[in-house]
Amino acid sequence: MGLEKFDPTLAGHDLVQDLKWDPALRAEFKRNEKAVLDRYALRPAERKAIEQRDFKALYDLGFHPYLGGQLSRFIYGNDAGAGALVANKMLIESLTKK
Amino acid sequence: MAEIVFAAGIPHAPAIVGLFDKASPESQKVVRETFAGLSRDLRAARPDVLIVFANDHITNSRITQYPDFLIGMAPEHRGPHEWFKPWIGCRDYVVKGNPAVAEALFRGMTNRGVRMFASRKPLNFDDNISVPSTLLDLDKMPVTMVPVMQNCTVPPFPDQHRCYAVGQALGDFIRKDLPADMRIGLIGSGGLSHEPGGARYLFIDEAFDRWFIDRCVKADHERLLKELTIEKMEAAGSGGTSELLAWVVVMGAIGERPGHSFGYAICTDFRCGIGAVAWPLAA
Repeated sequence: MGLEKFDPTLAGHDLVQDLKWDPALRAEFKRNEKAVLDRYALRPAERKAIEQRDFKALYDLGFHPYLGGQLSRFIYGNDAGAGALVANKMLIESLTKK
Repeated sequence: MAEIVFAAGIPHAPAIVGLFDKASPESQKVVRETFAGLSRDLRAARPDVLIVFANDHITNSRITQYPDFLIGMAPEHRGPHEWFKPWIGCRDYVVKGNPAVAEALFRGMTNRGVRMFASRKPLNFDDNISVPSTLLDLDKMPVTMVPVMQNCTVPPFPDQHRCYAVGQALGDFIRKDLPADMRIGLIGSGGLSHEPGGARYLFIDEAFDRWFIDRCVKADHERLLKELTIEKMEAAGSGGTSELLAWVVVMGAIGERPGHSFGYAICTDFRCGIGAVAWPLAA
């Protein structure tokens, strides 16, 4: 599961970029994720995958793994020795599920 | 003609800072000795300007308008970008930029048929520039930096042959366009094998890493370019290992020269194989 399914048109890529660049949006995403997702032209399957934390489904749609890893850190944590390790674990579990 | 006085491929994995304490004593020793050796060589070389090619990691541009090469023309370069601070765990830094050399680079590469983009605004830096800047204390050296953010992960990205050709154009630019007394250092920032965000996030391909270091140490670029395919790098860690293409740019600029390895560390906590190579340059 690498870059072979990459689809550059997914709106979720812009979501991750904006979350990265905009602390206020990041805070809103934590408070009210639905309101943030509403502002992006996500495909129904793409939105469902984000809401269900289903990274395997998201990558199957063509989401870029590098941004997928960052999305997991927005959700689960971004600290080197703590939250980011949880994010890694949850991401890998999702990607390797049967 | 300006002179290239320093050239190296350097790892920038954030975990060698933020998770350093979790690593084995052997791995910590390799990281310490690698950056001590690089720092010693860099200071002995006394460059006026460091041109650093590094994987952008989709940090500065949207995927819908993604440049293969983005030159930082700002008068100073600050980092890490706010969101990456807790993830990397390194200190803040400010390295002086060099707008004049950055502009000359933009012009010179354009004139040589290499399409680059440039930004006068400060760029965002994650581990790509932040780790080498802080572990080498670039902000405490009398040196300026021109960062060039490279697309190593958004398909289709420039392959090993194109990156080598870009490096050759870079070397020609340095020799012909920059002032005669200017001393230039080149860094390719990235690697070794890793798969950020992928199912094999904790996978490190030791065999690939040792093979790549060996190829960089030996001065046989024809063989290196034949063997270092995107497919091979993807197999060694999708979306991450290919940032070694930044090293290929540097090798293209300096031509075939034997390199010096500082050792190799494989540590799951680093989530990346760790190694660096410097190419000594005759005066």
